[in-house]
Amino acid sequence: MRSDVRDKLQAFLGDDLTLVEALPDEGLTRLCTALETAWRGQARALAAASDEAVQQMPAPLRGTIGKILGR
Amino acid sequence: MADKLAARAELVKLARALGTTQDEVEFTTPLGADGIRELRERVVGALYDEHRAAFRRVAVITRTLPMSVNVRITLRAFPPLLAARIAGEMAPERAAELANRLPVEYLAEGCVHLDPRRAAPLISRLDPDRVLAVVAELVDRGDFVTLGRMLDAASSELLAHLAAAISDEALLRIGSYAESGPQLTRAIGVLTPERLRGIVHTAITGPTDLCAAGLSMIVRLDDALRGRLAEYAASASDEVLTAVLHTALEEGAVGELLSAVTAMGEQSRRRVANLPALNDEPTRSRLEAAAANLGLLPCLTALATLRDC
Repeated sequence: MRSDVRDKLQAFLGDDLTLVEALPDEGLTRLCTALETAWRGQARALAAASDEAVQQMPAPLRGTIGKILGR
Repeated sequence: MADKLAARAELVKLARALGTTQDEVEFTTPLGADGIRELRERVVGALYDEHRAAFRRVAVITRTLPMSVNVRITLRAFPPLLAARIAGEMAPERAAELANRLPVEYLAEGCVHLDPRRAAPLISRLDPDRVLAVVAELVDRGDFVTLGRMLDAASSELLAHLAAAISDEALLRIGSYAESGPQLTRAIGVLTPERLRGIVHTAITGPTDLCAAGLSMIVRLDDALRGRLAEYAASASDEVLTAVLHTALEEGAVGELLSAVTAMGEQSRRRVANLPALNDEPTRSRLEAAAANLGLLPCLTALATLRDC
């Protein structure tokens, strides 16, 4: 397993990668890409949902709620 | 014993967790059903734990507000995706109190995004009528993956209501995605013999994918219930049983088929063993090859001893 792929997979799946060691290198790379894509997609979806939520809040609460949601 | 259909169901669930298509996760097939499932659980953990602190902070705020205000803010400001993530961080009682006041369509969408690890305590506290309405909505949407997850979270009483309210076809499709075999057994086990016969009939006379869903489901039931359902199937015509055999061959479900046949009583096994279709050399060869591949030749050999000479 390539070290950069191992590092990324460990960041998502934890240190023990025994579970995915049966996959060939190409599969591990694809898994890494799929996880990164999912992570980015989720971050985008949550950001959009959070922005929508903040927009709907009464004006005095927007700043506070925005900060809580990390916007 | 049987893995291919289970692996396929797990691929669908992994794809859902990653927000992609089944084709895009086919490369994980070498991990087998159990490995793909474990991978999915770790993926879910990684993705759902991200941003958790922010949702927890919002959940804390909801504790300070009257429920009527929470309902208003939720419907006005939070899309179901966000509400589901926040609900996962709320005390289950409080989350259920809120959910019980939200529209069914909103809840159904929220269920799709609910952290599977936190669904059970919440769903078990919802009003049963509300859950049934959400289930009906998800059935209409054809979202059997989410329903399979919800099945896991249902109490015995709720299971009885659910199983009675859902159509045979929906039950078969949900069953093929159910997370827990014992829970699936409880859900199916409460049904009347007439209903069980109907479900088996629907599966074995239905389209290929429904028959495959039935095979996928039956293998996950406990031995006693699998035996009962398999007995019902054995009373079908030669034509129907032959179609099931071919579905199992085409869909890679020979393990599931043999599991069902093995659970039958001797008379039924004898009936299956003497199906005219098994005199067809190409069919028998395919069956033997598939069984050998799964390490199930002894099952097939035992069945062959019941053939009339």
